Formats: sequence, structure tokens, C-alpha cells
Amino acid sequence: MSNGPWQPRGQGPRNPNPWGGGPSGSGGGGGREPPDLEDILRRSQDKLRRVMPGGGGDGGGIAKLGVVGVAFLGLLAAIGWMLTGFYTVRPNEVGIERVFGKFVSITAPGLNWNWPYPVGRVNKPTIGVQTIEIGLRSGDGRRSTRDVREESLMLTGDENIVDVDFSVLWLVDARKPQDYVFNLRSPEATIKAVAESAMREVIGRREIQPILTGARLEIERAVQELMQKTLNEYGAGVIVQQVQMQKVDPPAEVIDAFRDVQAARADQERAQNEAQTYANRVIPEARGEASKITQRAEAERERMIADAKGEAARFISVLDEYKKAPEVTRQRLYLETIERIYGGMEKIILDQGKQGAGVVPFLPLNDMLKNRTNEQGKR
Amino acid sequence: MLRSAFLIILAAVVVVVGSSVFVVDQTEQVIVTQFGQTKRVVTNPGLNFKLPFIQNTITLDRRVLDLETPSVEAITADQKRLVVDTFARYRIENALRYFQATGGSTLRGNQQLGTFMDAALRRVLGESTFLLVVKEDRAGLTAKIREQVNSEAAALGVKIVDIRIRRVDLPEQNSQAVFRRMQTERQREAAELRAQGTEISDRIKAQADRTVTVTRAEADRFSRETLGKGEAERTKLLADAYNRDAEFFAFYRSMQAYEQGLKSGDTRLVITPDSDFFRYLNSPTGPKNAKPQ
Repeated sequence: MSNGPWQPRGQGPRNPNPWGGGPSGSGGGGGREPPDLEDILRRSQDKLRRVMPGGGGDGGGIAKLGVVGVAFLGLLAAIGWMLTGFYTVRPNEVGIERVFGKFVSITAPGLNWNWPYPVGRVNKPTIGVQTIEIGLRSGDGRRSTRDVREESLMLTGDENIVDVDFSVLWLVDARKPQDYVFNLRSPEATIKAVAESAMREVIGRREIQPILTGARLEIERAVQELMQKTLNEYGAGVIVQQVQMQKVDPPAEVIDAFRDVQAARADQERAQNEAQTYANRVIPEARGEASKITQRAEAERERMIADAKGEAARFISVLDEYKKAPEVTRQRLYLETIERIYGGMEKIILDQGKQGAGVVPFLPLNDMLKNRTNEQGKR
Repeated sequence: MLRSAFLIILAAVVVVVGSSVFVVDQTEQVIVTQFGQTKRVVTNPGLNFKLPFIQNTITLDRRVLDLETPSVEAITADQKRLVVDTFARYRIENALRYFQATGGSTLRGNQQLGTFMDAALRRVLGESTFLLVVKEDRAGLTAKIREQVNSEAAALGVKIVDIRIRRVDLPEQNSQAVFRRMQTERQREAAELRAQGTEISDRIKAQADRTVTVTRAEADRFSRETLGKGEAERTKLLADAYNRDAEFFAFYRSMQAYEQGLKSGDTRLVITPDSDFFRYLNSPTGPKNAKPQ
């Protein structure tokens, strides 16, 4: 306990919080109440006793000190009390000073001084971005994230229910942090209540399908605007920076049905693709076949024409020659043809003579016909 | 003796000053009473003075206060049940009246306000439809509720800053019904999608088949036409040629036809040697007598 006389002052600026237990943070009020005020007083009394000659007696000491001594003691106590007015504002905070309950100034980060308790009070709200989660509680290591269904299930405009988890990023308006501290009794609860109400209002105006699919950004913006407007009406001194929708799902009870719709959509596409594949295969095949048929027909036509031309040419040639020597040529053609016919053929020559008949009955017509039918059967 | 008198006077001064000074915080308003009678309300924050001992102070909040009411199950005009959860933000506007009505207790004040809100909520919901509440005019309805509560709350010295519907839900059993409906709606949608898939698939396949058939038929038609044209051409060519000498053509073509028609192998001939071909078979000069036939 043998500290130097002005020890607290020397220590003050170095130690950011020499009197322990600093003022309460961002909450609604809470004054500074240095817990070791008595201790300081006691210490200064000790020093006083050592300084003052003849001091140190118990009880009735003040009476012995005299007016000067009392005044000195009072001054010392006053200085000690004033010293407890130093406080630090961290970089992410802003200091809001009140003297006799009246708001006087905003202080910047660093070391500051205000009248100590009970005359002055300091609030130091955080000015950084803070997050409120709605519909879920994030895990913090030990606890896992859990869903709060009564917060996250909401009615849509077409009487469906969606499960929406979202978070709100907000911060104390640095231009008027005093509003945040003085105007609302429970600012955080208010922000949360407003967020829930705004989200439900916005969701309630829309139908489930766009909510689930595309309208996320638009909803976020609408909620943010509505929240900001409402909080401004309260004079909350809060800026709603962003609303983030984390999960937008159908409720767990029906999610399978919704997934089945997705599956059905995929099935539809698959069926379509398969059919298209089929079409893409069959149609070219048919075209190929068609061109085969047409080509064949063309070929046949040309063949026929060529054939006919050839035939005609041949006939004309023969005719030309024939005209030069009709008798002989006719005879020749006839004989050559018959020669060829008779040449390769089974033949029976019957010389009937003048009397005719006679031989005919001996022709084995039956055999010949039988032979012929056999040949037909084999074919 | 003199010293102790001085000390007594000092103590007395301290007590008197302490009793005549009071602090009004930024967040508070203070009623100054004299023997229970209200003298004034101080809303300016800072150091204030009153008569010592005979005047007392009552401190009330000046901030926006919150009121959360339990959820209410109400019936709308179109007979739908809704569970509605509202909250209000209010301010003590007339500290005196508030104190008279509640004795300065926020709890009691909230209770009374809650009753007003509950009544106003039921009234307004009872007059509007489900769709209005949920979708179309939530803001208008809350404004109406606020108006009604405000007029009643004036008696409490309270001004409602805002009343908002926080949650509008269906009662549990209705929620289940909604879930079932959502489920069946999705099932319907899924079935429809699948059926549409089949439809599209069938259509594409049928169109493809049709294209195939038409393509083939078209090819056949073309083929026949072409063959017809060929035939015509052929006929014309041959006719032109043959027409040069119809008699020779008949002979010439007959010769060809005999040759083609009487092929070896499937034809047997029983012939009499008196045809022209055999003219010289029996005699080198030919049957002169037979010639005139």
C-alpha cells in the first residue's frame, strides 16, 4: 500500500480502464459505478494521515484536522472522484455522454472524459454491423444450428405456407447514435419484431411459386425498405443494411411433393429428349430410304428409255437393211430364228403325209404331261 | 462548540439541497407532486429543482416502449380462423394520466393496452376477409387497429407509435389442411408435368412417324411417276421406230417373241415337217406343188 501520492493520475492514461468495471456497453443505459471508490478514498486518507503532523488517531480525527485539513481532504476527494471520469471508447464504438441525465455530446474512439457518476453517464453502443437471425439459431461450436419453425413458417398470398429463414444486418446510425440509445427501450427486440412483421407482410403479398424460385432479391429489398421505414418512424437510430434470405423452402411436411414436381419436370424433359432422339433417328433414315427409292426409279426410267432407244435403233437399223433386200432378209431372219428355236428344243416331227391320223394315237401324251408337271413341281 | 454547530448547519444544507435537486434523464420524464397533488411534469432532461420535502417526484419512461401481446385466434368475416400475433410500440404522452391510470406501473399499463389491442384486433379482423389480412391490405388494417387503439389509449395517456401484425398463421389443424392441399396440388402438378411429357413425347414421335410415312409415300409417288414417264418415253420411242414399217415390225417382233417365248427346256414341239422351215427337208427344190398354199 505504499504508493506515491498522485499514483492514480500517472496510471490513468496508460491503463485504459484503471478503475475496473467500465461502463456498460451498448445496452439501454447503465451508469458508471466505480466499485473501488471507497478504496481510493481510504488510500488517500492513509496518505493524508502520513502527511499531516499529529494525524493518525482513530475517531474524531476530522475534528483535530482543522478547517484547512478538511478543505484539503475535500479537495483530494474531489480530485480522486474527477479522475474516475476517464473512459475509453473502442474503435468500433461511439461514446454518448450525459450530464445530469441530459445528452451533451458524442465522443470519438480513444480516451475521453466525462463527469463521473452520479453526475455524468456514458453509453458506448457498438457501431459495427450486427446480425439478427430469424427462423433459425446458428450454432456456435457446441450447439448445432436449429430451426425455429414458429418464426420461419409463414403464409403466402395464395394460402400456402413457406419456410423462410433470414437474417438482418443492421447497425447503429453513426450520424445519430443517441437516437439508438435514448429513443427505444428495447431496440434489438424491436428490430427483430419489425423484421418478422415486414417479412411476413412482404411474403403475404406474393404467391408461393415466385417466392420459391426467382423473387428472392426483390423480397429482400422490399423487406429492407419496409423495415427501414418503420424503424425511422420509431426514431430508432438504426440503419438496416441488408436482409438476407437464407433458406426459402416449402415446409418439411410437403417438401417431398415439391421435389417430386422437380423430378416430374426432369421426367418431362427426358421424355421430350427421348422422343426427339427417336425423331432425329427415324426421319433421316426415312429420307435416306426415300432417296434410295427415287434414285432407283430414276435409274429404272433411264434404263427403260435407253433400252427403248436401243431397241428402236436396232429395229431401225434392221429395217433399213431389210428395205434394201426385203425378200432375202425376211427369209434369213425367219430361218435364223426358227433355227435357234428348234436348235435347243426337244421335238418330235410327225410326218402325217396326206392321210394324216395314224400316228397320233401312239404319242405318249400322258408321259409328256407328267414329265412336265414334275418339272413344274420342282420349280 | 462553534465547530459542531457549523457541522450541523453544513449537514442541514446538504440535506436540503439534496432534497430540492433532481435529475431528469434523457430517457425519462418526471412528475412533481406536492402532497400527492400534481404540480408539473418535467420532460426536459437535466438538473431540476423542486421544493424540498414537500414535493416529490415520480419518474416515468419517455422512450418508445414495447408491448408484445400473446397471439389471438380470431375469425375473419369470411369465417376463416387466423392466429394473429401483434406487437405495439407506444410512448407515454400524458405522464399524468398514465400515472393516474396505472400508478406508474408499466406492467399494468401494458395489460390495459393489451386489452384494447385484443379488442381492436378482433373487431377489425371480424370485419375483413382472410385475403385482406394476409395479402392485400395488411398495412391498411394495422392502421385501422392503430386508430382504434389510439383513441382508447388516449385515456391512458399513451400514444401508439405503431401497431404491426407480426405473424398471421392458420391454426394448427388448418395448417395441416393447407399442407395436405399443398401436397395434393404438387402431386397434381407433377402428374400433369409427367403427362405433358408423355404428350410431348408422343407428339414428337407421331410427327416423326408421319414425316417418315409421308417421305416414303412421296418417294413412292415420285418413283411411280418416274417409271410412268419412262414407260411413256419408251412407248413413244418404240412406236416411232416401229411405225416406220408396221408389217415388218409384226414379223420382226414375232420372230423375237417366238425366240423368247419358246425357250428350250420347257417346251416340246410336236411339229409336222410341212411348214416353211421344212420346205427343203424332203426335197432340194422344195415342194413346188405345195408352194401356192
